Amino acid sequence: MDRRNFLKRGSAAVAGAAGALSLPVLSSCTSEAEAAGSRLEGKKWGMLIDLTRCREGCTACMDACREENNVAYHGDRRWDVHWIRKATLHPHEESAGLEEKEVLLMCNQCDEPPCAMVCPVQATYKRPDGIVLVDHHRCIGCRYCMLACPYNARFFNWKENPEWPNKEYPRRSHGVAESCHFCAHLIDKGGRPACVAACERSGAGALIFGDLNDPGSEISRLVAAGGAKRVREDFGTQPKVYYLGL
Amino acid sequence: MKRSTVLTEKNRGAWATVFTVIILLPVVFSILKPLWAAEPEVFLDPPDPRWESCFRPKEYMRFHHMDLLKEARSQVIRDGSGNGITLAGCGDCHRNREAFCDRCHEKASVSLDCFGCHYYLTPSELEELEGGGH
Amino acid sequence: MDVQFAKIEGKSVGYWVTVSILAAATIAGFVATLIMNEHGLYLSGMTNRVPWGLQISMAIFYIGLSAGSLVVSGLYGVFGKMEYKPFARIAAYLAMLFLIAGLLSIFTDQGRIDRVFTKPFTYVNATSMFSINPALYSGHIMICVLYLWALFKEKGTLTKITSLVVVLWAIGTHTGTGAIFAFVPRELYNSALLPPSFVAAALSSGAALMILVIVGLSRATKRHLDDDLIIWMGRRLLSIFIVVTFYVLLIENAHRAYLAYSREAGFFFLSGGVHSLMFWVGLIFIGCVVPAVLLFIKRTGTSVPWTVFASVLVVVGVLFERFLIVIPGLIHPPELFPGWEIQDAVIWEGVVSYSISPLEVLQTLGVIGAIGFAFVVGLKVMPLAPLEARVLPAKS
Repeated sequence: MDRRNFLKRGSAAVAGAAGALSLPVLSSCTSEAEAAGSRLEGKKWGMLIDLTRCREGCTACMDACREENNVAYHGDRRWDVHWIRKATLHPHEESAGLEEKEVLLMCNQCDEPPCAMVCPVQATYKRPDGIVLVDHHRCIGCRYCMLACPYNARFFNWKENPEWPNKEYPRRSHGVAESCHFCAHLIDKGGRPACVAACERSGAGALIFGDLNDPGSEISRLVAAGGAKRVREDFGTQPKVYYLGL
Repeated sequence: MKRSTVLTEKNRGAWATVFTVIILLPVVFSILKPLWAAEPEVFLDPPDPRWESCFRPKEYMRFHHMDLLKEARSQVIRDGSGNGITLAGCGDCHRNREAFCDRCHEKASVSLDCFGCHYYLTPSELEELEGGGH
Repeated sequence: MDVQFAKIEGKSVGYWVTVSILAAATIAGFVATLIMNEHGLYLSGMTNRVPWGLQISMAIFYIGLSAGSLVVSGLYGVFGKMEYKPFARIAAYLAMLFLIAGLLSIFTDQGRIDRVFTKPFTYVNATSMFSINPALYSGHIMICVLYLWALFKEKGTLTKITSLVVVLWAIGTHTGTGAIFAFVPRELYNSALLPPSFVAAALSSGAALMILVIVGLSRATKRHLDDDLIIWMGRRLLSIFIVVTFYVLLIENAHRAYLAYSREAGFFFLSGGVHSLMFWVGLIFIGCVVPAVLLFIKRTGTSVPWTVFASVLVVVGVLFERFLIVIPGLIHPPELFPGWEIQDAVIWEGVVSYSISPLEVLQTLGVIGAIGFAFVVGLKVMPLAPLEARVLPAKS
């Protein structure tokens, strides 16, 4: 077989393979749409953070989240994963009279999530109840979702997680991306996120979690009352994490 | 111009065959390994009274457990359904991961991706953890 | 007289040394990828704030290079310029190799390489540029294969058709690659001008690299090459591409720096750190101004050594440009609370930095080694290189 014949047969094989490969693509496109639409529909989970009640120096929510979800901690700012974190805000020089304040940052669980839009395998996606989460069996670790998130709220498992505090819940091995998912596994059993529970236990009660689609829920009433803001609403991502006292 | 005496026009095909065989050796090894690997002794704890029997008969489970698991995990993650099937649930009856999972997977040469994330320690790992734990 | 193509002899010491070095580099890259895949990507210089680094920058660089190659081969295939027929095969082959290099760089950068060969094919996300692009690249590679076949078989009509299709598809591929970044809501990424600027820089770097490859190949194989062919490619083709690239970059940065809402980010890019030096010195001065001047001035523009030098500068400049597409957008933090600065706490909230790690460098060398190897061996087993390349006698 000479070179030219090889090229001829090779390109035919490649074309054939491409045709064969396209079949599962076509079938999976439709099955994804059918899988949605379930018992999760109707709800729209949201969280409200009352910064006026958030206590300085308290890390109850962060610790509870890490314990519950086996979030990786290596003691290195390059690779530590934080599903919820505290940060201090300094006013710019010009804004005299304003004081430093602490803020809680986390995945905003956007209703128009850019991370879900860009995930090449739909590992990051939005559930019918509004929760944005990662299917760690599917994530290929491309980290495009981390680029797409305008809030810097997504993290990657760069290193194997040394701890496993909660054996009831899986942890993530290195190579996949993740972010807060409102403790979906607890919500599905009728519970609430670990951070919310921990904040209540600590006495501060700064985190309120509920169904934004239920006009009677505490969070809906607080949001309707006005004054609750979201981070950079102008991004158009429709975050479902509201702040009071921002 | 010196012509090669090892690789010539005539024995090109033979060389190509040798090359292909060498390249495919790992695949062939993987496929043939079950032929000489020892038959595992399957060891089952007495079943937990919670479960009358497993979901399906033994032969079906052996062949189809990955399909069941994939279907279940798809439902749990995508649909949030609490259908009760968890990897940890298998461990309620099949407490010995080495005997239940590892032995057959070793023989069949199929690597496991589950336990880096899902908690299901082998008896020796459990012993080590409890023995040297804080 | 029709153009003759012939395999290179490939028996010299120089040839075998080249092949060995490229093979060694490939193996080194493979081992580096294996190590990182086993232990975790923390061994690279990337962090949670800078999740994409050298590998992705190089990936888009390679993909860009394929555009220019195809334009050069399109000179013969699409525009029927017979004097460029000698280079059509090399150009098509090289374009295919660059696309493979791009895919290889991306694949080896994934967190779960074991999944990347199956999941993206069974689960497609039509809204994700990272899903659309591999389809574009694969299609592009297949068309290049068809194009090469048409060139080898001297099928005139098929050559014309595939050449046109491949050039149009290339524009689509490169727009898509630019869109990976342009369609992301980060201040230094989000830009409608990024896809066109990507295409323009791709054309410049690709054409420049083709000049280098053609001149290098003719010198190495001691086959005749008419100077005028190179000079035309430099003065009439590459120079235009450089000017267009400069133009789009100028507008993109001026726009960002002008508008109040993006001014801080715009000025951070232009004067906020080491990357700014890369921009002004590496991209603008070395990559655009100097080569353009060299090519437009008659004395230097009509000399092959100067054209080669200008081409080297363009390739270097565009390499900086690819880096500048990826990194500044990540090291610059999003302004989450206008009027407030977020202090570093459990993570870095402000401007961070990115440093390349040795393993990433090895991975890059590995990819270059792999396609270099394929190119050099390809020259020996296939009649890719022309026996000679001459300007045709003028038609009366």
